[in-house]
Amino acid sequence: MRRWLLAALAVVGGVVVILPVTGRAAGGDPPQAFFRPDTPKFPQARTWVAQKAKLPPYKAPRTPDGVPDLQGNWNGPVGGGNDDLEEHEYVDVTTPPQESYVSDPADGKVPYTPWALAKRNEIRAGLARGWPGETGQRLYSDPSSLCLNGMPRLAFGGQEIIQRPAQVILLTANTYRVIPTDGRPHMSPDAKFYFGNSRGRWEGETLVVDITGINGETWIDSAGNFYGPNTHMVERLTRVEPNTIDYVITIEDPTIYTRPWTMTYPKRRTGTGAGANAGAIPNAVAAAGAARAADPYAKEVWENTCLEGNHDNVVLLKKLGFKWFDAVTPPK
Amino acid sequence: MKRWFAGFAVTLAACTAVLLLPPSAAAQTPAAAYTPPRTREGQPDLQGLWQVLNTAAWDLQDHGATLGVPAGHGVVEGNDIPYKPEALAKKQENFKNRQQLDPENRCILPGVPRITYMPYPFRIVQQADKVVILHEYSRIIRYVYMNGNPHPEGPIDWFMGDSRGRWEGNSLVVDVIHFNEETWFDRAGNYHSDALHLVERFTPTGPDHMLYEVTIEDPNVFTRPWKISMPLYRRQEKDVELLEYECGAYLLKQEWAKPDSPYFNTR
Repeated sequence: MRRWLLAALAVVGGVVVILPVTGRAAGGDPPQAFFRPDTPKFPQARTWVAQKAKLPPYKAPRTPDGVPDLQGNWNGPVGGGNDDLEEHEYVDVTTPPQESYVSDPADGKVPYTPWALAKRNEIRAGLARGWPGETGQRLYSDPSSLCLNGMPRLAFGGQEIIQRPAQVILLTANTYRVIPTDGRPHMSPDAKFYFGNSRGRWEGETLVVDITGINGETWIDSAGNFYGPNTHMVERLTRVEPNTIDYVITIEDPTIYTRPWTMTYPKRRTGTGAGANAGAIPNAVAAAGAARAADPYAKEVWENTCLEGNHDNVVLLKKLGFKWFDAVTPPK
Repeated sequence: MKRWFAGFAVTLAACTAVLLLPPSAAAQTPAAAYTPPRTREGQPDLQGLWQVLNTAAWDLQDHGATLGVPAGHGVVEGNDIPYKPEALAKKQENFKNRQQLDPENRCILPGVPRITYMPYPFRIVQQADKVVILHEYSRIIRYVYMNGNPHPEGPIDWFMGDSRGRWEGNSLVVDVIHFNEETWFDRAGNYHSDALHLVERFTPTGPDHMLYEVTIEDPNVFTRPWKISMPLYRRQEKDVELLEYECGAYLLKQEWAKPDSPYFNTR
């Protein structure tokens, strides 16, 4: 094994990896934005919960199969993405000030048990990304920096939703989920997956997705908020306006959290709503927007690579001494 | 299509014995007899969960068994891959060093058509302006655009190429260009250059079967276009669904655990 890897490296030395030409993604994720220190705080769960309480009742159009029609391209949350899911002030150019994604508990904090909170804080102190409060020691790098995907993080991005009889298909930039809605049972909880095992059902206007079988080997954000191999997630997607899906996810794991907790944000139909780049340095965003408008290929998703172009980064993280993040289990 | 067929016809003419045999099922278009159901947009409906049942992932050509490699009939029409002499030497080197060189061992995007006949299922989803192919292997999404846009202007070097589709009768015909040189056709070292041009045809031949044909053209590597063909089978298990094979994650986890893995040598 070692020998072939050595030889393989000699060959891949010549690889030139072509990144996506425009960086566009399903659901119209904006280009990576860089934020100024004076960026106003982005609204998240607290603001959205107050807004949606005032919305009049809405009944979505139906698909030919008679279920609510959620199809189309939908954005992820506004702001800097889920760098840190809890409320925070300005941290750096990619981490603008933001309300918490957590709507319950009301304080916006993940309700960790004491050992789990200590673990989260330990992970966070060892990120070595120049954030306040770090020890300077390197512990784990965000699993997504190694191209690892998992739930619920990819639900916090742009998506195209396609519905077919007895299934809902979610396409994100370089991965997908197919959710059966035919009432089939979950697989054995012993079968573990990065994305878990999703089972959907319709409750009135809402698509409810129950997820078990999660392997717990990725994070909920890039700041070390974590779940585990026993975690159970339930997503609720409800079209509350023609161009808005209310996204709600409840995360439950008595081995890690003191109680179930919930995150929420509005998914706006791509091309509507407040831009995800509000508050970003304007020229680059405007230029990217103008280029997209003039481009007949703007609605296409072009090749997204991750591992293919990430080898140098992976090598660097390993050489810097970051450990592999294994699923966290409670102390005995 | 016409070009490969001209080449194939020459081969046939030179080999009169073949003319005495009944025509190979794969060499013709036997699908004409079957009319598939239509989607709501009126396209032939190819949707569902499909998989090959052959050994092309190991070797496109006739091959015997070795440890971990099942024997198999080839999927190349005529079994001969028309390498240029220097390209054949490289293919043989690839084969000799396949454990070291096969890009599949690095979990990178495996290219087309290889992804189609790897031993993992894939789901076809049709929309008015595109066909989406969801592969279990590394959760790869392949978009085949049918929105009227031609191939974008190059040069573009993509692992999976740029796929533009059209309907010819009941067949989905996909033209693919803009490849890089980093992928192979199989585990036996069959390879191509960035000049690779594919024409794939997905033709329903029954409710649960499709014929998958690919004409392969690459003037840097081959003396003429050549063709592979194989059936695709609709998976029949009641609860079948796409699961997950996160190749890169498993590879990194394995190498991270080794004290001196050469995987992390700077290249």
